[in-house]
Amino acid sequence: MQAVAKGSSKVLLSATLSVLLGVGVVAGVGYTLNKASDDGRAPVIATMAGNIDTPKGNMPHAIATLSVYADAESSGGAHGPDGGSHPGYVTYGPSNDLVLPAHSLVTITINGYDGGETLNTPFFGKVIGTVDGSMDVDGKKITSLGMTEVQHTFTIHSLPTSSQDPLFVNIPLSKQPDDAMEKFDADGTLPAPVVTTFSFYTGGVGEYVWNCEFPCGDGTYAKFGAAMSKYGYMSGKVSVVEHI
Amino acid sequence: MNTSNSLPPSLGDRARTFIKRHDVRMSFLYSSVITLVFVFLGLWFYPKFMPEVMSEQMQNGKEVIVYFTVISAPVAGLVLGIALYTFLNRHKGDTPPPDGPAIRTNNPVVLVWTIVSSLFCLVAIVWGLVEMNVSSSEAADKAPNAIVVEVTGSQWVWNFNYPDYGFSSDKLNLPIDRPVVFRITSVDVNHSFWPVQLGVKVDANRHAITTARTTPNVLGSIDIKCAELCGLYHAYMESEGEIMTASDFNSWVTAEGGHTA
Repeated sequence: MQAVAKGSSKVLLSATLSVLLGVGVVAGVGYTLNKASDDGRAPVIATMAGNIDTPKGNMPHAIATLSVYADAESSGGAHGPDGGSHPGYVTYGPSNDLVLPAHSLVTITINGYDGGETLNTPFFGKVIGTVDGSMDVDGKKITSLGMTEVQHTFTIHSLPTSSQDPLFVNIPLSKQPDDAMEKFDADGTLPAPVVTTFSFYTGGVGEYVWNCEFPCGDGTYAKFGAAMSKYGYMSGKVSVVEHI
Repeated sequence: MNTSNSLPPSLGDRARTFIKRHDVRMSFLYSSVITLVFVFLGLWFYPKFMPEVMSEQMQNGKEVIVYFTVISAPVAGLVLGIALYTFLNRHKGDTPPPDGPAIRTNNPVVLVWTIVSSLFCLVAIVWGLVEMNVSSSEAADKAPNAIVVEVTGSQWVWNFNYPDYGFSSDKLNLPIDRPVVFRITSVDVNHSFWPVQLGVKVDANRHAITTARTTPNVLGSIDIKCAELCGLYHAYMESEGEIMTASDFNSWVTAEGGHTA
């Protein structure tokens, strides 16, 4: 009888340890994944700039600025003074996470310092989701770029969930001239940025992501490896919050 | 010498002895209950959690899942019933019981499971061939009136080109009751185009165009997902779409910068 009781307690102990081990493994995987998606940099929080009249009526106006660089080393410290763990990776900065106000007009300016090759598909050469379907590039109003005129894209998308408003924005960024990039490659001098400005409306509170649709990673995964497949370089989160 | 005692028992005698055993009866009882549970799950529970049916292809797919769940319920019930009886009557204590007599084979059992398994497979094959044939015939009949949508997967966004209307969109909107032909490809890694409520799921491969057909027959929203793990933001590779009336579709085409066909 004593032996049976001893056996039962062993079974109970083994079962408990197995469950605890399983929970620990799941928690460890969750923690690791969560840690990998957080690069530790403070997000870019949009600055409120009063109210503005729009085709949808008067609403709050928020502005934010990003930049995109040919490599992390020359990104003005976006990944640390020496470019961090991947100084050769193409990157956005100063952070890849954006915080925007809900039910507002958001104007984003992107300074582009990189050259380009060819887009995978002409679809991402089109401006999509902005107020009037256009963007402003160095003072010129543009609605699309050719497949070979693009350095990167800024493409916001989301899960089609009924719990938050849809948001899809695609901005192709005009590339630097070849001679400017040759000079950068030769002596590291950053060219004057191509300045792209665009505006779009936010809906209610929600969580979105953005990524570059230009194949600017290394040769793996059809040039979507390296910087394109690592958090904090050519992709990020967009958090739309009630108040800033 | 009694010669009748040396005769091996007939198959009927062996079967009668077999079904009188307590372990067999209890395993059968457990198997029957578990089978009924799976039949209930297959007929009433699972369908409640399936996506809305918005095309005949989705209806066919849903029926196949339901019928195959019911057909496979006895198999699962038998395995789990015996497993449950074995677990509940497992040996306790330090002294294990002696091994039973070695069994080389049991021809009737082998015969039964071979025939039953073959029948299950045959039903699945014939069913699939019939469904495929019906679907292909219907698609061929409807082809002249079909709307063509070129679907392109790229990490991690779908885009949809409507060549007959001269525009592209990030949304997949379609008119109701009109056949649609999807021409699916990828510009980078492999994706899988899955407009859930339309019952279509097809791989999107680089340098290849794969064709799939369906006819939406219910108005409403559809979800387009990628069903192939494709990289960092695979989980966000979802798009929205809508099945709309012909007039609403034409209005949307115009608003997107296209021209009506």
